[in-house]
Amino acid sequence: MKMSYKKRIVIFLVSIFFLSVLVFAMSRLAPGDPLVSYYGERAERMSVEEKERAMNRLGLNEPIIVQYGKWIQNAAQGDFGISFKYKQDVLQVIEGRLVNTLILGGVGFLLTFFFALLLGIWCAFYEDKLLDRIICKVGTITSCIPEFWLSLVLILVFSVNLKLLPGSGAYDIGQSDNLASRMQHLILPLIVVIMSHLWYYAYMIRNKLLEEIRQDYVLLARAKGMSAGKIMFGHCVRNIMPAFISIMAISLPHIVEGTYIVEMVFSYPGIGTLSFESAKYHDYNMLMVLCLITGVIVIFGNITGQAISEHIDPRMKEPVRMEEVTDSDGR
Amino acid sequence: MTADEKFELVGAGYLDTVPDVHQKENWWKGKPVCSAVILGMIILACVGCRFFMTHDPTYLDLAHYNLAPGGEFWFGTDTMGRDIYSMILYGGRISLFIGALSTVISTGIAVVYGALSGIAPGWLDECMMRFTEILLSIPSILIIIFVQALIGKDSIWAIAVVIGITSWMSIAKIVRTEVRQIRESEYVIASRCMGGSFWHILRVHLLPNFVSSIMFMVVMNIRGAIVAESTLSFLGIGLPIEVISWGSMLSLAEKALMTNSWWVILIPGIFLVVTLMCITNIGNYIRKNVNQKQSNL
Repeated sequence: MKMSYKKRIVIFLVSIFFLSVLVFAMSRLAPGDPLVSYYGERAERMSVEEKERAMNRLGLNEPIIVQYGKWIQNAAQGDFGISFKYKQDVLQVIEGRLVNTLILGGVGFLLTFFFALLLGIWCAFYEDKLLDRIICKVGTITSCIPEFWLSLVLILVFSVNLKLLPGSGAYDIGQSDNLASRMQHLILPLIVVIMSHLWYYAYMIRNKLLEEIRQDYVLLARAKGMSAGKIMFGHCVRNIMPAFISIMAISLPHIVEGTYIVEMVFSYPGIGTLSFESAKYHDYNMLMVLCLITGVIVIFGNITGQAISEHIDPRMKEPVRMEEVTDSDGR
Repeated sequence: MTADEKFELVGAGYLDTVPDVHQKENWWKGKPVCSAVILGMIILACVGCRFFMTHDPTYLDLAHYNLAPGGEFWFGTDTMGRDIYSMILYGGRISLFIGALSTVISTGIAVVYGALSGIAPGWLDECMMRFTEILLSIPSILIIIFVQALIGKDSIWAIAVVIGITSWMSIAKIVRTEVRQIRESEYVIASRCMGGSFWHILRVHLLPNFVSSIMFMVVMNIRGAIVAESTLSFLGIGLPIEVISWGSMLSLAEKALMTNSWWVILIPGIFLVVTLMCITNIGNYIRKNVNQKQSNL
C-alpha cells in the first residue's frame, strides 16, 4: 500500500520537531559563554550584575524548556532570533549565504549523479574489460581521498602554481553580480564535490546494473536479437531508475556534508562556513537555524525521493537501504 | 547467409578452455595481500616510530624551517622547522589510535543499541530507528562539531570519543535488521525461557550471527574516523597543532600555500590516502560477495 501524502507530511513535521528539540538541547547544554560571542571583549569586563542583566535580557537564564517554548513561538512567526555574533536577524545573515550553498551543493549534486549514471552504465556495459578495471581502480583511489586534502591539492596546483583559478571566496571583491567571476570561483569547489562522491555512487549504479543484466528477461531479449545497447538503455537503465532516485535521496546528507567541508576549505561564503563559525563562537540561534535548514533539506529530499520512486515503481515500498547497495564506502 | 550465421547461438557463454579444477590455486589469489602488507608496514613504522625517526618530531629547528625534501630532512621541514618524515611516523600513531579507539566505541554503542532496538517491541523499535534516522539526516561533520563544543576538550581521547559517539548509527541499523531476523529463532527463545539475560543472549546467540555482516562497516568506520580526525584537526577544531597527527600537520597547509611549499601538503596527505586505500581494500575483501552468475548481456 502506498503511503498517503498526509502521512508523509506528518512524518516530515514530526521529524523536524524532534530535530529541533535535539539541536536546541545540544546547543544549550554546550559549555562556552554566549555572552562573549555577543559582547566580545566587553563581556569579560562586565560586573556580575551587568552580566546577570544581560543574560536576562537575552533570555539565557530561564529553564531550557521555557527557552525552547519561546523559541518555537517566535519561530512560528518567522522570527528566529538575532545572531549573537553578527547582531543581525539570523535569517538576514543566512539569506545571502543560503543561495551560495544551494548553487554549489545543487549543481554539485546534479552533476555528480549525471556523471555517476554515465560512468555506472559505461562500467556495467564493459564489465571486467580493461577499461572497466582501470576505472574501478582509479575510482577506488579517488573515493579514498578526503575532501579537504583534495581541495588543498587543487588550490596548490591551480591557484598557487598555475594561477589559473581563484582559490577562495565566491567572487572577486566588489564583483558579487559578475556572473563570470562567480563561475570562476565555483569551478574548483565543484570539482572537489563531484570528484569525492562520484565513484561512490557510480559504483552503486554499476552494481545495480550488473544485477539487472543477469536477469532472465535480458537473455530473452538477447535471444530475440535485440542489440546489447538497446537492452541496456531501453530496459536495464529504466528498471534501475527507482533505485537510482532512492540512492540520490539517501546520498543527500553526504553531499551536503561534502559541500560544507569544501566551503570551509575554500572559505566560500555559504552555510557550511557559517555553521562552522557559529559552532566555534557558540552562536546558538544561528546554529539552530542552520542545522534545521540542513535537516529540512535532507529529510524533505528523503521523503520526496521515496515518493518519486514509489510513483515510478509501486513495488518499492521498502526504501533502498544504504548498507544494501553500498560497496565502496561504509558510512 | 550461411547456415552458421543463421543459427548464431546467443548467451550460451562458450568456454574456450576447460578449467582445470585440480589446478592448485595460489593462496593469495583475490586476497588484498598488497594492501595488508603496506598497511602492516605503516602501522609497524608508526608504532615503532622511535627506531625509525631521524629527528625529534617536536623540536622546532628554527635554523632549518620550510626546507624542501632532500639530504638531511628526507621529506623536508614544515614552516615551524619540524622534520616532516619524523612527524609522519610519530603522528601516524595518533591518527591510527584515534581511528581504532573511536571504532571500538562506535561499534560498542551500535551493537548494544541495535540489539536493544531489534529485541524491543514494535513501537519502541520504531522510535529508536526514527531517532537514528534523524541523526543520520544531519551531516556528521555538524554533529561532530556540536559534540566537540559540548565536550570542549581537544585531547586525543576526547576527539576519539566524540568521533565514536557520532558514527554508530549505520552499524546500529544493520545490527537491528539482523537481530529482527533471528530473534524469533528457536535457540533464542529457548535461551530466553531458560532465563538468559539480555547480555547473555547478545553475546552467545546474537553477536556470532551478525558479526560477519557488520565487519565491513566496522573496517570502514576506522577509515571514517581517521578522515574525521584529520578533517577536524585541519579545520582547527580537532587536535591542537602541538599534538602531532596527520590532520594537525595538514593544518599548517595555509601557511604552506603562501610559501608554495608543496611537500608540507602533499607528503602527509599521500600517507593518509595510502592508509585509507589499504583499509578500503581490506574492507572490500571482507565485503566481497563475488557474483559468479554469468552476464546475460
